[in-house]
Amino acid sequence: MNTNCDHVVDYLNGTLTAEEKQAFEQHLATCADCRELVDAVGELPYLAEPAEPPVGMKSRILANVFEEEPQKQAEPERQVKKEKTVPMVKPKARRSSWAPLIAAVLLLSLLGNAYAFFKLADEQQPATESAFQSIELQPGEAFGGSAKAAIIQEEGSLEVVVQAEQLEQLQGDEVYQIWLLKEGQPVPAGAFTPDADQQGSAYYSMTENTEGWDTIAITREPEAGNETPEGEIVLSSEI
Amino acid sequence: MEKSSDFMLYTRIQQKEKAALEQLYDRYEKILFSFLYKMTEDRDLAEEALQEVFIKLWRGKGEYDESKGKFTSWLFTMSRNSAIDLIRKQKKPSVPLDEIGDLVSPETAVEELAEWQEQKDQIQEAVSELSSEQQKMIQLFYFKGMTHETISTMCDIPLGTVKSRIRLALSKLKKTLHGVQERGAIDDEY
Repeated sequence: MNTNCDHVVDYLNGTLTAEEKQAFEQHLATCADCRELVDAVGELPYLAEPAEPPVGMKSRILANVFEEEPQKQAEPERQVKKEKTVPMVKPKARRSSWAPLIAAVLLLSLLGNAYAFFKLADEQQPATESAFQSIELQPGEAFGGSAKAAIIQEEGSLEVVVQAEQLEQLQGDEVYQIWLLKEGQPVPAGAFTPDADQQGSAYYSMTENTEGWDTIAITREPEAGNETPEGEIVLSSEI
Repeated sequence: MEKSSDFMLYTRIQQKEKAALEQLYDRYEKILFSFLYKMTEDRDLAEEALQEVFIKLWRGKGEYDESKGKFTSWLFTMSRNSAIDLIRKQKKPSVPLDEIGDLVSPETAVEELAEWQEQKDQIQEAVSELSSEQQKMIQLFYFKGMTHETISTMCDIPLGTVKSRIRLALSKLKKTLHGVQERGAIDDEY
């Protein structure tokens, strides 16, 4: 027995992570033992006593199924994607109170996607099509703040959401700038400034060069819009 | 034959052919509803779970292929997970172990002959060859959708061994079902 075989119960219960599930499915394709077990379990429903379906169930279900076209759900997300970046907070200038609200809404929408993904992951969603990763960033020396990032990778797009708290207040034109790094090469991936509660958040979407990022970092930049980091890294994590 | 035509229907569903989804619905409505009702013991919940299944089928992309076993195994697993989601959301108070029905319900004289009677006879025979503890494991895990923690508490077995006991019960089922099917094949020959 292969150690992969141990995963069969979790597989049946849909409790494997996307990666584990993909690995198990590869295993399943080559392990006749596990396939037979899955198929034996697949006979269990036939133990059920026949139950008469409720009147009108078929038309209700089919109407609901065909009503809920996937495009409807995807639309708001696509509109967001058209924008290359969504500046959460305009650096300098007035920091109006609705900026965090937008961030919250965007985050909710993304969490919705993530939730949908997890739901889908319950049944055989291949990890290659969409992947959701939640990351806890580690503060650098003498930095009191903390941040979480969510990275959602779909075919042809990458979305990054960052939420930070207990941030140190900035001075002048400074911003907290998010970077994605690939083999040490950074690209900017959104920026934010803390609000009165020392919290900040950012949403960033990219449609090119979406693969292979290995690190996410946040620096305290002297100004917004830098193409390469000048400030010190305050939070970071491997991806 | 049955298998490949299920697979063909599934492929057509992926191409957004409504008629194919309806055909698949007609083919499995009765067994799926009966199965989901056995799990949820609630007709509304069973319908809700069934709707989830078909919404997922309609929206899903490229999820099933034959390397994952039979199409029905995959369909039933997905259905079971939908039901478990709903059962857990309900947070019904847990019932004492002796009030949870047996895996195989006692036969009644007027029992309607199921459309799937042949499969039912087979799996019933296979299940009857399991120990009562193994039958209980399958009932609690598979049909009641209980978490390992709940099973551990209910049956008073260490949490760490729940998974291996479930696995053992399922492995045994695989063997007994295999035996039943072989005997059936021999009977057919003579």
